[in-house]
Amino acid sequence: MHEVSIVNDLMEIIQQNVVSHSLKKVTKVTLKIGTMTSVEEHALRFAFEVVSKDTEVEGAELKIETVEATALCPQCEKTFNITFLNKICPICNAYSNNIVTGYELLIDEMEGE
Amino acid sequence: MKQIDVKKNILQTNDILAKENKELLDSKGIFTVNLLGSPGAGKTSILEQLIKSMKDNVKLAVIEGDLYTTKDAERIESQGVEVIQVNTGGACHLDALMIKEALNNLELDDMKFLVIENVGNLVCPASYDLSEDIKITVLSITEGNDKPLKYPSMFQKSEVVIVNKMDLMEFTNFSMDEFYRDIKSLRNDIIVFEVSSRTGEGFQQLRDYLLNKIKEKGGVTNA
Repeated sequence: MHEVSIVNDLMEIIQQNVVSHSLKKVTKVTLKIGTMTSVEEHALRFAFEVVSKDTEVEGAELKIETVEATALCPQCEKTFNITFLNKICPICNAYSNNIVTGYELLIDEMEGE
Repeated sequence: MKQIDVKKNILQTNDILAKENKELLDSKGIFTVNLLGSPGAGKTSILEQLIKSMKDNVKLAVIEGDLYTTKDAERIESQGVEVIQVNTGGACHLDALMIKEALNNLELDDMKFLVIENVGNLVCPASYDLSEDIKITVLSITEGNDKPLKYPSMFQKSEVVIVNKMDLMEFTNFSMDEFYRDIKSLRNDIIVFEVSSRTGEGFQQLRDYLLNKIKEKGGVTNA
């Protein structure tokens, strides 16, 4: 349940932007989350709702975009989609531990007025 | 309406602090391990065995993460090595700020090996870099061989897995074949040590591996 810690850090970044852009209300927050972070979306949404209560962020839409996991093939040097259990390049059958995407935990953009 | 292009890593505060910690530890040539695993997997018992066989060869220290108690820190302290207790107050993982504060209270000169024993948990600590050179996850035979697939992030991010309680193998249906198949598909360069803290089996190899890593980082050992 580290989703609460993640949301606390997220709120800090949002609050900095609320101040620097003189926002009265935040209406939408877009996140990009990699499939290998093992972050639980329901827990994240619940934590967001609770932590944002009574702030400028209360009621904001939380949009979560999933980032697929990919790795760089050591042989053909192309990136390909991977899962936890399959990291074999479909072109040359080489195994890759060189993970390029999948661990993202990003705030992409936010909207407010 | 204003649209703001933020594009920031949510855990950037942690990552920046972890990088600062790492620079400090690197400058002192201290090899650092983030020791992970379920509650009861045997992290502290493994540490006790390692300290016994390594403390005469290399100056080492331990940072003990725990939700509330000082029980583990007391066990380590009785071995005669420097230990700092970090209580998370209920939080499920250690973060880089806690480590920064702990480092301020440790005598780093001459130290060559630092072990950070994380909170017992196979999920949350995987997201928080602390400044370690490697992550080592402990899995005990009694937990079952399905754990790497049930908690893939943690095992995939670990350079080393220690399979503990090997002496209990005959009493369980743990399948080593399935374990190796799963762990290698998560990460094919992972290094596995099979040990028993109770009998001492397998510790010689683990100790040699760690002493070699400490040497590689520039630490002098009298092994």
